[in-house]
Amino acid sequence: MYLRRIYARLREPRRAEADLDEEVRSFYDTMEARRVEEGLPPEEAQRVTGAEYGPRAVVIEEVRDSRPEAALKSVVQDVRYAARQMRRNPGFAAVAVLSLGLGIGANTAIYSLMESILMRSLPVADPESLVLLNWTSRPPQDAGEQWEHVVHGIQGRFWPGDRGALVTGIFPYAAFETIREENPVFSTVFGYFDGMQKNLAVGGQAVSASTEYVSGGYFRGLGVTPAAGRLIGEEDDRAGAEPVAVISYALSQQRLGGPQGAVGQSILVDKVAMTVVGVTPQGFFGVDPAEAPDLYLPLRTIQLVDADDSHSLFQDQNFYWLEMMGRLRPGVSMEQAQAALAPRFNHWVASTATTEGERAKLPALLLNPGAGGLGSLRREYSKPLYVLLAMVALILAITCANTANLLLARASARRREMAIRLSLGAGRRRVVRQLLTESVMLASFGGVLGVMFAVWGVRVLTWLFSRGQENFTLHAEMNWHVLGVTAALTLVCGLLFGLVPAIQATRTDIIGALRGGRGGGTRHRLQHFLVAAQIAMSFVILAAAGMFVQTLNKLHSVELGYARENVLLFTVNARQAGHRDPEIATFYLDLRRRLEAIPGVSSASLAHASIISAGHAGKTYRGPVRIGAVAVEGARVLSAGPRFHSTMQIPMLMGREIDDRDQPGSPAVAVISERLARTYFGSENPIGRRITFVGEKRDLEIVGVSGNLRGRLKDESPMVVFAAASQSPQEGMTYALRTAGDPMGYVQSVRGVVREADATIPVTNVVTQAAEIDRTINREIMFARLCTGFAALALLMACVGLYGTMSYSVERQFGEMGIRMALGARQGEVVWMVLRRVLVLAAAGLAISVPASLAAAQIVKSFLYGTEPNDPGTMAMAAAVLLCAALAAGYWPARRASRIDPLVALRHE
Amino acid sequence: MSKPAELLQGTLDLLILRTLELKPLHGVGIADRLEQVTKGVFVVGPGSLFPALHRLADRGWIEGEWGELKSGRRAKFYAITPAGRKRLAEEKRNWNRVSIAVNQVLAEGLCT
Repeated sequence: MYLRRIYARLREPRRAEADLDEEVRSFYDTMEARRVEEGLPPEEAQRVTGAEYGPRAVVIEEVRDSRPEAALKSVVQDVRYAARQMRRNPGFAAVAVLSLGLGIGANTAIYSLMESILMRSLPVADPESLVLLNWTSRPPQDAGEQWEHVVHGIQGRFWPGDRGALVTGIFPYAAFETIREENPVFSTVFGYFDGMQKNLAVGGQAVSASTEYVSGGYFRGLGVTPAAGRLIGEEDDRAGAEPVAVISYALSQQRLGGPQGAVGQSILVDKVAMTVVGVTPQGFFGVDPAEAPDLYLPLRTIQLVDADDSHSLFQDQNFYWLEMMGRLRPGVSMEQAQAALAPRFNHWVASTATTEGERAKLPALLLNPGAGGLGSLRREYSKPLYVLLAMVALILAITCANTANLLLARASARRREMAIRLSLGAGRRRVVRQLLTESVMLASFGGVLGVMFAVWGVRVLTWLFSRGQENFTLHAEMNWHVLGVTAALTLVCGLLFGLVPAIQATRTDIIGALRGGRGGGTRHRLQHFLVAAQIAMSFVILAAAGMFVQTLNKLHSVELGYARENVLLFTVNARQAGHRDPEIATFYLDLRRRLEAIPGVSSASLAHASIISAGHAGKTYRGPVRIGAVAVEGARVLSAGPRFHSTMQIPMLMGREIDDRDQPGSPAVAVISERLARTYFGSENPIGRRITFVGEKRDLEIVGVSGNLRGRLKDESPMVVFAAASQSPQEGMTYALRTAGDPMGYVQSVRGVVREADATIPVTNVVTQAAEIDRTINREIMFARLCTGFAALALLMACVGLYGTMSYSVERQFGEMGIRMALGARQGEVVWMVLRRVLVLAAAGLAISVPASLAAAQIVKSFLYGTEPNDPGTMAMAAAVLLCAALAAGYWPARRASRIDPLVALRHE
Repeated sequence: MSKPAELLQGTLDLLILRTLELKPLHGVGIADRLEQVTKGVFVVGPGSLFPALHRLADRGWIEGEWGELKSGRRAKFYAITPAGRKRLAEEKRNWNRVSIAVNQVLAEGLCT
């Protein structure tokens, strides 16, 4: 009703006006007619009526003003007026909008990244009722002690919990069965297991496909509807069932001619024939936002595909590998589920403990919300993201202070205008509203610009975050959630930086302003305070940037012990393509020789993984190692092929490296790293001595000692045993090529050579050694780059603020400067007078922010390497940069002050 | 400053609704009627009458329709709507409560 009438009036304003006019006219006419009836002449009647009720136009105006849309009209008026102000002062508007755009853009970009990592739910039905099953316990190995825990073996990840405890989501298969049976709190419990990369052959072409093994209840539990065909069900997850596969929407499009055509096709997964029965919907990525499997296989097919080590998975009650999720029954809370299942799990896990030590630290079930999927990304990035958010918030604060300052300076230019409006009877509220309209409008333009910056910024951020990750699944984007937050932020900014100047402006001494005087001390103080605050905030960001850049420099100057440049790495898995012992060893060795023959490749070698990931990836010996009767603690075994040390440029200190002589049948040999030699042989010569791999019952002859090498840059160099790869069990192999020029230029030739050797083996994980190393310090690189950018931005803003304030203050003291000049002050003295004020402001800013930075640095301590949070060098450097920038910003106004012509200045006053 | 005006406005709304409760009337009719019933205590000029009528019409409490006066002149006649009747009942209750309260305060003042 209400809105309909207003709408009708707005749509047909003429008709509404005519209507109103006639209505009021009718009233006056009737009254006049009465007067005439009473005997007055018509003209007199009209006059008397007018005198009694006031002019008709006023009545009509009263009605109009009382309408609800009248308020809207005055807003439109304000907006028009504000737009005119912006046009009249385009320089000011441009600076304000641009800086706000940068500030809001940075915030929006970081926030949208946060939204995508920390807040987004899985794209499945009712994600809120999903629950992750984890457990926690004291670490299996207390400091320096032997491993004693019900967990005898794992395949999966642990992460730190509260107070030194460890948390993980992996369980033995028996635990899954125990929790699943007759479950009163979950409607479905399902398990999944990372199948890593598999060789997927479709019609003779092989690709590498990331694989997820899923239990029969997986898709039903997640509530997913297939894009085509059907999804894996309980009937597929049984020993002896027909082997079936479900593929991702993306894979169906890339390799199988779309979802419809994919259903029913036969594929080979590591040479095992399977039938594609269905395709997952577009946008579905399983349960881990960090991964996007191409291939989903029933859990039981592990026994077909990974035949070797699968037998123990389903039987061994002390081998932990399967991850689980449950879907709560309607009306059941997570706490109730926890209370119902914890005792059941506890009872079961107690039955698997065999010693007192194991019973002393039994795992305890821990339920976590599953709406966001697995938390690996959240755990990794939440703290960095909050740090970045704090930084961009500071930048926005600087921007707001800046804009407030510009508005304050401008307000003084508009004092006469305000005074006139106030003296003409405009209410203070009305004037404040007018000024706030202006500032919110500035902020809105800034917000729009900010969203545009953010669209671009999100791309840069995603690139920075994803560096080196082949299938990075994160899709930060501008959705309604993010835009809503940005809009709110914009509004708050507009009000924040507009309110103070607006209130100040209306407190004008009207008479003084009209007379053209130049008072206003409080405003001046406020401006100085704002500038000092900006300097303080910029310093915090500068200091942080300094520390992160320092960290990155330290990391880049770490002595690796091997070549960083001109090495190409890639992985080849012959076992998945059907090669078996003993032929596989010769296949790998032969491939090495062929690769070495590529023109431009000076040497080629292979190892079970790259040096960087050797500690946790690939198949190598990981059991106990002994030298004679002495157990070797903390040594890593790296299965390396011929010429590994030459290719990686690891110096040989004694003896020889592994070479073509070391064949599958020949005597087993090893090269050890210097640290290992020092620790266990002291000054003795280790060449010719033996080292034992206890688990494989193998004795290896030490034939050489090499220099030390680091895997992860932040860790100390580990002790390494290089065992001849051809004499070790082999799965996938990572080849390393030493190239002349850009390693990535050789990728085509490499693919050609591998295809020639065996066309069914895909070449995967192609990366340069340098990029592989940078991947491990991705966070540090990201921090250093982003913070440098932020620091530059903050510094620029602070300088703009300083420049504006100084220009204004010079202008205000035009007369004073003139008098000084007239009295014989030299130019240098005037320049110094202004610069001194700049220095005082900068010093005040530093005085606030140095202690603040020291406190803030403690928060980011864990992100630093090789530098202390209170590193005096970094602090001094940041302060020096800031002072220089401040002086540069203050120099131009100072110079202008020194050029004042005394005559002009005095006349001006 | 604005408080007494609001009170007045609310009172005027109440009086208009009450006047229209009996039969539809045009602007002059309402003014006449108010003056007559309140024995000249309330004299409502067009400057407050018309804004009030339009406000009430916007709320949907009354509805205007063009009609003809005996003199043959066109005039807008306002009639109360069902929503207006409900509103009036509420306003009456409110008014009674307020006036009793005010009277009590005034009576107390007399005693002391």
